[in-house]
Amino acid sequence: MRYSFYPGCSMEGAAVPYLKSLEAVAGALGMGIEEIPDWNCCGATVASGVVGDYPAQVLAARNLALAEPKGLDVLVPCSSCYMNLALVNRKFLEDDHFRAMANDALGAAGLRYNGTLKVRQIIEVLVKDVGLDRIRTKVKKPLTGLRVAGYVGCQTPRVFPWEFDDPEQPVYLDRIIEALGATPVKFPMKARCCGSSHSITRPEITTGSGYSIITCALEDRAQIMVTPCPMCQMNLDAYQGKVRQHHKLEASMPVLFITQLMAVAFDLPPAAWAFKYNIVSPFAALERFGIKP
Amino acid sequence: MTERLKYDAGFAKEIYALENGHYIKKCMQCGMCDVSCATRREMDFSPRELFLLMRAGKREEFFKANTIWMCSTCLMCKVRCPRGVPLVDVMHDLKSHAIGLGYADSPQATFYQAFWQEVMGRGKVFEGGLMARYYLKRGWSEIRKGFEMRDLGMDMVKHSRISLKPPRTIKGIKGMQAVVEKARAQMRKEVGG
Repeated sequence: MRYSFYPGCSMEGAAVPYLKSLEAVAGALGMGIEEIPDWNCCGATVASGVVGDYPAQVLAARNLALAEPKGLDVLVPCSSCYMNLALVNRKFLEDDHFRAMANDALGAAGLRYNGTLKVRQIIEVLVKDVGLDRIRTKVKKPLTGLRVAGYVGCQTPRVFPWEFDDPEQPVYLDRIIEALGATPVKFPMKARCCGSSHSITRPEITTGSGYSIITCALEDRAQIMVTPCPMCQMNLDAYQGKVRQHHKLEASMPVLFITQLMAVAFDLPPAAWAFKYNIVSPFAALERFGIKP
Repeated sequence: MTERLKYDAGFAKEIYALENGHYIKKCMQCGMCDVSCATRREMDFSPRELFLLMRAGKREEFFKANTIWMCSTCLMCKVRCPRGVPLVDVMHDLKSHAIGLGYADSPQATFYQAFWQEVMGRGKVFEGGLMARYYLKRGWSEIRKGFEMRDLGMDMVKHSRISLKPPRTIKGIKGMQAVVEKARAQMRKEVGG
C-alpha cells in the first residue's frame, strides 16, 4: 500500500499533531506515504471566492500533475484539500473541454495532467484499503468502554454524496472507532458545520457551532471526540475556552485527530500520540488505559 | 404608499453569465437551501431570497447583503437541492464577482483576499502571515477584537500550535503563478469574467 501524500498547509501549522500521529499510524499499518514534491496550497474554500472556480481548480490540479509520474493514489487527510483535489480530478476525467483548457494552463509551467490518479480521503483509505480487520489486528490496547463522538465535519462526506459515505449521517468514522474497541456515541451533528473560517472574522459563529456540537456529543455521554479535519479540530479544541466563556458548558471535551486515538490503541510511543499539541487535555479521559502525561 | 420598484432587467443576465450562474435558472424557490444552511440565522437573506432579489433586479440590495459572505461552504445545500443547483459553486462566483465590482467591505472579503495573497506569494498559506495581512488591512477595530482572543492565542503558543516561522516558498512559485495567470486569462476570454 503506497500513496502519494498531500499534507496541505495546515499540517505544517496548526495541525502538526495530525501529521505526527498519521505518519506513525501509517507506518504501523504498513502504508507507505510519499509527499508530493513541491506541492502548493489547494486553494481551500477561499481561492474560488476570489478568482472563481476555474483558476482555483487549475491551481489545485498542479499538485496532481506533480504526483502523476509516480502513478500512486493521492492520500489527502484534510477535508478542504480533499474536496478541491477530488473535484478537480473528476473534472479531468469527465470533462474533455476542461481537461484541454487546464492542460493548456498547466503548460505555462511545463506541466500536464492526464487524469490517471485517484484522490482518496484518509477515512476512506482506512476502511476500504487497509480494512477494519487489519486495524483490529494492530490494536494492542483496546479502548473498551470509551465513549467516542466521531465528528466527520462537513465537506468530506459531501464531495461525492453516497459514493463515499452517507452525506449527512456518515458511518465510516464510527466503524474505525469500533475497530479500536471503543463505543461510537449517537451523534446527529457529526457532519454539521463547525463554523469554518468564521473563527477569524466572526468568532461568535464558531463558538455557537462549537457549543451545539459539543452539547450534542455530551447528550449520549461522549468522553472524547475525534475528527479527520484540521479546521474542525482547531475550532472545537482551541475555541473551547471561548465556548465556555459565552455559553453554559461545564464539561470539557478533548478533541483528537482520529489518528491520535489510533496511535493510543496501537500502543505506539507517546511521540505518536502528539498530545502536547492538544489544548483540551485528553489525559483524564484516557487515564484508565494507562495514558499519562 | 408602496415603494416603487427599480427593476433592473439586465441584472439577472449579468449573474447568469458567471461561470456557474446559469444554474440559478433552475431554482424553483422551494427553500431547501434555507432550511439546510448552517449559517442561515446570520444571513440578511437566505440563498433562495437572494435569487429572488436577483430576479427582481435589486442590484444594490443583492450585493450589500451579507449572504454570500456568511456561506461557510459546508455543502449541505448543494447535496440537498432538488434541482441540482450547486449553490456553493454559485456562491464562489458571487463572491469573486462582488470583489471585482468593489463590494468588498466585509471582514470575510478582506480575509479571502489576504488568503489569496498568501497563496500567490509563497504557494502555501502561513497562518501567521494570513493573520498579519488580515489585521493590518482591517485596522484598529478588528485588532481590538483580535485582542479579545489573546488567551486563545496564548493557548495556541503554549501548545506549539502556532508556527512563528513561515514555510519555505515552493520552488516552482514562478511556474505556479504563470499557471494561475494563464487560467485567469482563459476564463476572462471564455466567460468574460
